[in-house]
Amino acid sequence: MESTADKAMYTAPTQADIDEAIQKYGRDIYNDFDLDDPAFNEKHFEIIDDLVAKCPVAHSKVGAGYYVVAQNQLVKEVGQNWRTFSAAGGYMPNRPEGVPFLYPEESDPPLHTAWRQSLNPFMGPGTVNDYEDNIRADANALIDRFIDKGECEFISEFAAVLPGWAFFKNVLGVPVEDLDKLVDGVEQGTFSPDLEERAAKFGFVFQYLGDYLKKRSQEPPRGDMVDMIAAGVEYEDGTMSPWEDRVSVLVDMTFGGIATTTYVMASAINWLAENPKARQLLIDDPDTYMPRAIEEFARVFAPVVALGRTCTKDVEIGGRMLSEGDFILMMYAGASRDPSVVDDPKKIDITRETVLHSAFGVGIHRCIGSNLARLELRATFEEWLKRVPEWRVVEEPVYMTGQLRSIRSLKLAW
Amino acid sequence: MKAHIKLGFDGGQQGCTGHGRCAVMAGELYEVDDNGYNLHRGSTIDVPPGMEEVARYGAKVCPERAIVIEE
Repeated sequence: MESTADKAMYTAPTQADIDEAIQKYGRDIYNDFDLDDPAFNEKHFEIIDDLVAKCPVAHSKVGAGYYVVAQNQLVKEVGQNWRTFSAAGGYMPNRPEGVPFLYPEESDPPLHTAWRQSLNPFMGPGTVNDYEDNIRADANALIDRFIDKGECEFISEFAAVLPGWAFFKNVLGVPVEDLDKLVDGVEQGTFSPDLEERAAKFGFVFQYLGDYLKKRSQEPPRGDMVDMIAAGVEYEDGTMSPWEDRVSVLVDMTFGGIATTTYVMASAINWLAENPKARQLLIDDPDTYMPRAIEEFARVFAPVVALGRTCTKDVEIGGRMLSEGDFILMMYAGASRDPSVVDDPKKIDITRETVLHSAFGVGIHRCIGSNLARLELRATFEEWLKRVPEWRVVEEPVYMTGQLRSIRSLKLAW
Repeated sequence: MKAHIKLGFDGGQQGCTGHGRCAVMAGELYEVDDNGYNLHRGSTIDVPPGMEEVARYGAKVCPERAIVIEE
């Protein structure tokens, strides 16, 4: 058995807390949590705040069951300890049979290390900052398409497209004529409410990426990330990574960062519509406020709500005993709203001088695309504010929530 | 004042994993390499006079708590 560094007593929610949750949310979120309950979509932040405040380690009875930690310290403890909390069992609770594992996300060292060391340089600031001019030009090209209409549906016309273009054009270098079907494939393959369509679109992108990797492996190298993945990495036993692992890595990189950035971008544009003072600060002094705003938006609009790990042994966490094989979710969205590390965490404030959040995860699996995401967000906010200085939300946005949170539709006018 | 930047980790030990947030929020003091890791990870730097607050900001925003300020 291993015990946590900072001993936290497990303080169970009181019966009054449970009764209140059942009344507000229609279920006992502490002992019978469900990511897919419609209440978790509709009362998202209230539920997260209650978990952070009242229950260090919640439990779900869905399927085989899983645990949930939402406080910042506990999320950190799980995320930083890969030996005890393994990613190799996948990030999803109750993982369906036959879902292929995505590497390096769903792996542990040494396989994880072999891939991450080779991938990191292609997603570090040194490489992605070279994409800035292209991304700004693409943001303007998208705005050109609808600015004269005086309105747009921001998700399908901008926020789902720009991150896709940024990735497929700059990082993967796919032919431009394939962009539309890939952007659609990633969006629908992640979020389509029709599960058959979701599987079909995911399958299409998976197939496309496998074919593209094969094609690129037969072409002269361009010195990019695709070349590196196609060439593979050496595993600890001295063998080269099998071809299917290479395809898995390319798929992981592709699905990891596109739809997630969409949500932060769209949530921020939705919020800024009603916050003229914040807009003005970003226009008047972007060097000071833009970096703070981007971190604050990532904090409060966490697109990756929770990712999971599998216990490799019996372990105590947050004062509660978990057994080998138990599944535990790290609620990043909660860790970023924990009053023990963020003052007045419910308030959205782009002037915070320090913003501690866990939106990009914690530990060896931290988001590899965070530098690219920040660049896309900055380019979007700066170019948008130049072209559309004032706008309004025409219809309340529609959200969808599970392990990821997304906005399905956001109609704007100006 | 000194700032110690813990070197990556192995088996649960916290350290720099290359979030790059220190450079975003406290870039006057902390720089990152092309891969996003703190340039001084694994070592201790002297905080120049006047930069104490910046040094603390960087430590506060690190999601790994990899920066330890030694007053």
